[in-house]
Amino acid sequence: MNVFDVQASLRALLPAERFLVFEELRTQVAAGGVRALQIALPALPRKIGREQLPPELALEGDVSVDLGAWRACDAAALELLHVAQAGDDALRELYAHGDIEERAMVLRSLACRPVSAGTVALLAEVQRTNVQSHFEAAICDSNLVARSLGRAGFAQADLDRLVLKAAFLGVELVRLFDVQRHANPELSRMLQDLATEREAAGRAVWRDTARLIARAPTAGTLARLVGGLEHGDDGTRLAAAEGLDALLSRERSQRTELHHYLRERLPREPRAEIRAALERALAR
Amino acid sequence: MRIFEPHIHMFSRVTDDYERMALAGVRAVLEPAFWLGQNRTNVGSFVDYFDTLIGWERFRAQQFGIHHFCTMALNPREANDDRVNQAVIEALPRYLEKDGVLGVGEIGLDDQTKKEEHYFLAQLALAKKHDLPVLVHTPHRDKKKGFQRCIDLVRDAAFPLQRVLLDHGNEETIKITRELGCVSGFSIYPFTKMDTNRMVAIVKEYGVERMIINSAADWGVSDPLMVPKTMVKLEQAGLRPALIEQLVWGNPVAFFSQGGRLDVARLEHPANIDRRQTFEGNSVLRGQDPDA
Repeated sequence: MNVFDVQASLRALLPAERFLVFEELRTQVAAGGVRALQIALPALPRKIGREQLPPELALEGDVSVDLGAWRACDAAALELLHVAQAGDDALRELYAHGDIEERAMVLRSLACRPVSAGTVALLAEVQRTNVQSHFEAAICDSNLVARSLGRAGFAQADLDRLVLKAAFLGVELVRLFDVQRHANPELSRMLQDLATEREAAGRAVWRDTARLIARAPTAGTLARLVGGLEHGDDGTRLAAAEGLDALLSRERSQRTELHHYLRERLPREPRAEIRAALERALAR
Repeated sequence: MRIFEPHIHMFSRVTDDYERMALAGVRAVLEPAFWLGQNRTNVGSFVDYFDTLIGWERFRAQQFGIHHFCTMALNPREANDDRVNQAVIEALPRYLEKDGVLGVGEIGLDDQTKKEEHYFLAQLALAKKHDLPVLVHTPHRDKKKGFQRCIDLVRDAAFPLQRVLLDHGNEETIKITRELGCVSGFSIYPFTKMDTNRMVAIVKEYGVERMIINSAADWGVSDPLMVPKTMVKLEQAGLRPALIEQLVWGNPVAFFSQGGRLDVARLEHPANIDRRQTFEGNSVLRGQDPDA
């Protein structure tokens, strides 16, 4: 699986002497396999660096990855895992005994590898292990979660729980590629319950709640979306307007009733971006 | 003034301690692997502990802006325990390559047995192989003789003395170590080992070259703020701020930089302080607002 050319990316990004270090490590790990990788991996952030790769959407087969979220050491780790021929057992072992940086590198590599039993096992770890950098490394900026759906041990309920965790941590939905396609009423119920719990505690609600629940309405969804149009937070109002647009694009039975609220809000909405979303919804 | 706390067992401390240490100026801590109050019965318990030091404990420190480093070792007490000693030595090499592991320690002597000596030498060899300095625990009983024996073993192993931190020193041991070229460590405790007033007297007599002070706090009666408290006493005694800074920052940073893994530039800024993060489902926030 060759989602992007790591060597070309690193050659373009790194000073020549650091790229040489990478090549030396690559040679060592190619010769020494996983045992050599155990030694090489911890030092990658220090030896190769933490610079971000340029933003670029890498597409290969069914994989999509935003390389802008990757650091030089992440790319180097992906290459070393490849040349070490690290399989599922090695991945899990490297994760289990890795420090914070090592774990993040192993998790980020999953986005560019075929989905396997090891992927599913590490996604289960991430469901519990939510150091935000680990959660982001595994779940964000690629379509790994959506791509893993349907594999043994990773059913819709597992995807739903990861999305709920994203909401709990405040991770933006836009970073979970293709997840919106898997919205479902049970996930909407979970997100709405979380929102209600947060509101009762006087705490912030995940702004993207409206964007997801609108795609699979359940009891209370419409009231929450319409109520969002009057929220004092711009981001929440925008999400509500976009949610209603998404809902009306697929479900027109309540068009008349919803258009009443959209029309009523439009002249009072101070934000141009939100007015545009309201107008799009009214055009449905 | 920034503080590099060069010997503290945060594994045994509560989160409030991290907050108070950060407020007192502690920018970085070094946590030596040690005895956990009772002997472990299998090597897996050591491996889990080592993973905790490079994982959860580092994460916990970062949430308060503190950089967390550690040293790894089989401690001298459990060097006597045949259920674990050799297996721990075999598990260590992988951990000695971790980026935040800045030395081998605590090694040394405790009861001063032959087995302790055997594993002390074995770990000096590991330190050489992994190009790391060593943090040496010296005995609390029959200290002067044990101190001397540690030095003899280091010399027998031809281990470079500038890479040796002989810890838990006192007024007697400083007389032995001052001219050796190694670093002398002092663990400041509320009632035992070394106290703040005695430490001031030692600094006034011997200066701060190749000298390190630490809180060494653990589960016992101890105080993680003993370094900042000693700094106040030193200032009141008239020691220049530049010398105090050398004692609590320059010296430990220089010593633990010898392995080439301590990125001093990263210490210029506090560690990641986003307390919204959790580790393996746990957050030190326990549900509170991180911005509160």
